[in-house]
Amino acid sequence: MTNLDAELSPPEPPRLLVFWRRYKRNRAALFGLAIFAIVVLMALTAGIVDPGDPLRRAGAPLTPPFVDMATPLGTDQLGRDVMSGIFYGARISLLIGVVATLVAIAIGVVIGALSGYFGGWVDDVLMRITEAFQTIPNFVLLLTLVAILGSKIEWITLAIGIVSWTAPARMVRAEFMSLRSREFVDAARNLGVSNTSIIFREILPNALPPIVVYASVIMALSILLESALAFLALGDPNYASWGNMIGQGRAVLRSAPYCAVIPGIAIVLTVLSFSLLGEGLNDALNPRQKKQ
Amino acid sequence: MKKTPPILDIKGLRIALPKGADRSFALEGLDLTIEPGEIVCLVGESGSGKSLCAGAIMGLLPVPHVHIAGGGIRFMGDELVGKSESEMRQIRGQSISMIFQEPMTALNPQKTVGWQIDEVLRLHTNMNRAERRARAVEMLERVHIPDPESAYNAYPHQISGGQRQRVMIAMSLALSPKLIIADEPTTALDVTTQLQILKLIRELQEQDGAGVLFITHDFGVVAEIADKVAVLCQGVMVEQGPADQVLNHPRHPYTQALIGAVPALTPPPVKPVLNSPVVLKGTGLKKTFAARGGLLSGKRKAVVAVKDLTFQLHEGETLGVVGESGSGKTTVSRIVTRLLECDSGKVELDGKDLLACTPRELRAMRSHIQMVFQDPMASLNPRKRVVDLIAQGPIVHGADPAKARDDARRLLELVELSPAAANRFPHEFSGGQRQRIGIARALALEPKVIVADEPVSALDVSVQAQVLRLLADLRDRLNLSLLFVTHDLRVAAQLCDRIIVMQKGEIVESGITAEVFANPQHPYTQNLLSSIPGRDWTPPSFRTDAA
Repeated sequence: MTNLDAELSPPEPPRLLVFWRRYKRNRAALFGLAIFAIVVLMALTAGIVDPGDPLRRAGAPLTPPFVDMATPLGTDQLGRDVMSGIFYGARISLLIGVVATLVAIAIGVVIGALSGYFGGWVDDVLMRITEAFQTIPNFVLLLTLVAILGSKIEWITLAIGIVSWTAPARMVRAEFMSLRSREFVDAARNLGVSNTSIIFREILPNALPPIVVYASVIMALSILLESALAFLALGDPNYASWGNMIGQGRAVLRSAPYCAVIPGIAIVLTVLSFSLLGEGLNDALNPRQKKQ
Repeated sequence: MKKTPPILDIKGLRIALPKGADRSFALEGLDLTIEPGEIVCLVGESGSGKSLCAGAIMGLLPVPHVHIAGGGIRFMGDELVGKSESEMRQIRGQSISMIFQEPMTALNPQKTVGWQIDEVLRLHTNMNRAERRARAVEMLERVHIPDPESAYNAYPHQISGGQRQRVMIAMSLALSPKLIIADEPTTALDVTTQLQILKLIRELQEQDGAGVLFITHDFGVVAEIADKVAVLCQGVMVEQGPADQVLNHPRHPYTQALIGAVPALTPPPVKPVLNSPVVLKGTGLKKTFAARGGLLSGKRKAVVAVKDLTFQLHEGETLGVVGESGSGKTTVSRIVTRLLECDSGKVELDGKDLLACTPRELRAMRSHIQMVFQDPMASLNPRKRVVDLIAQGPIVHGADPAKARDDARRLLELVELSPAAANRFPHEFSGGQRQRIGIARALALEPKVIVADEPVSALDVSVQAQVLRLLADLRDRLNLSLLFVTHDLRVAAQLCDRIIVMQKGEIVESGITAEVFANPQHPYTQNLLSSIPGRDWTPPSFRTDAA
């Protein structure tokens, strides 16, 4: 007899559990998650590890690491504690990474969604604007914006967000273009759902997985951009940031390389963790894309 | 007469599936023989393992995930299981050839038709250029392609779908293979083309005396072409025998259920629908697709999808819109629901012109006309729970969300799904179940008219019968008016009170279903009706299962 169609398959485990199972299959992604957790922990405990100002003089200038227990990772030429700088720098890096990414994704999603959903002249206009932004090299635009807006940490974050929205916008547009012709969008229209709801409630959740994955890339890039700015002494001088530390360590690179190397390692590991995280998210969110 | 060994002799074939699949063997102990000059149909629903059987014979299984776990395949007395890849390559094409379902994807779009036939000959024979060309043209002629010389130089996109399938057949027969495996070769084609291709396969096979393994899900096609039939269910062959016996006196309950689910070509009794009030009226509808250029490029050539269409749908009536691909029937369904903007004309729903509505009015009007879509997977948002999908419409139109969700649960029962389904996501359901959810969603707004665009064509035949029965049942209980778009005349015959037949955007004939079927006036309708596969075969009815 035909097995009548009314029987249901057994229920699936909760989505979060499935997500975690898929995520942990990727060992590298677990490693990335671990580093990311450490960076977050550092940012959270910076105030406990060193309750004072990280930019104050903490010991004799250019103390090498592991010599004085008060400054375990040594001090720079102004006697500032390197370890305390690393911990406080994690805050700045994470802040910039998260906020700049949110800014970039928000602009990118709105522009990409409008342009992909409506098409026609809306698409033409928005994409020409996007291309105008894309033709200017990222970093040059960032320098210009910082020169105009000033070197405050808020403006730097905003400027990084503004220079990195073009790639997500293009990606969101492509996702929307393929999703808007799917029947479930017609079905929603047929129910009388408004355009705004269709864009944000129907299509966007389906377009989200690649955006989330790409967000991790933008996070890594924005941390790098901030470090590059700080290296050129255009960062906010009132905050200890890894880029600042490398920039200033450059002066004593021959005699005290650790001043630049330690924050360098911190940047490398953080950026690596984001990119591994992104890969893990990709495996977990788009399981069909990768056949084992 | 000399006793020759069978062309193909499959004994106890078992194909293992990777761990984690829904069953451990795709095929379990399949026995099948094909004699020279015989067409054997392998029938089964999706997931029955019929295509993997073809893959096993050709040595094209995706090893090591899916592999032959036991049994043997003897081709002309020669064991194929365990042959090396290079030996198989010799046999493939040379002695066994295959016709695929989708001729557009099976042909290389970058090369001419002639080049592709030539390639087969170049790889497997020692013919010189002139001989190969002569042979290719001869093959094109044998598959009845008009003007074979010019077809030789044509690219695949320049010829029609039916002709592409003919080219595929020409290619697979170019080397006079002993065995032809045809995997759903006509499923992607229109009925009239399908009939021609089926005739062609039969004709060529008779000339060459080759054996044919014909894989299909359609019992109409089986009735048209088969000498012998084997029925697969979940990887197990449940019945095998001569076509006449299996089709008319099936013994296994599964075969009986499958055949019982084939819609008979007997239209429903005439209902006095024409006296009821008109709920939906289309007048002078026109739609032209102007291919849009960019900001700077000019307009390209326009395609007329629907020209001057006028129809009426009465209350409680089912109006079928039938036609082949490109006839504009889907465009009609999108125009009357205003998912597509129409160029001119009127669609009156209860006397109000839907096409003249402002966006705000339109949104309110939408609750009166709902749609059931073709692909139940694509038409349900994969990120929403079933209860939210069904309740969405009423909520948008201002119903209380909690009440709407309660109603949604009740609707699930109405479409014969368990209330436990409410909190699931669409991908957890089978195709038929998804279509039930789609129907429940359409019903949630209590519409006056439901437009159904090929609602059962993506479903297996037994599931199709269940969904059709549900639709008919709901229509009668809720006094719905249905605009039913389909390419399948059997389905139309079963459900529709009246039908309109469309060709190239125009209505060529309309009337009471029974009258049109009994006495078609227009040559196109006559042609369509005479092309229904297995039209001379009336499926015996088995009312054993109350399902």
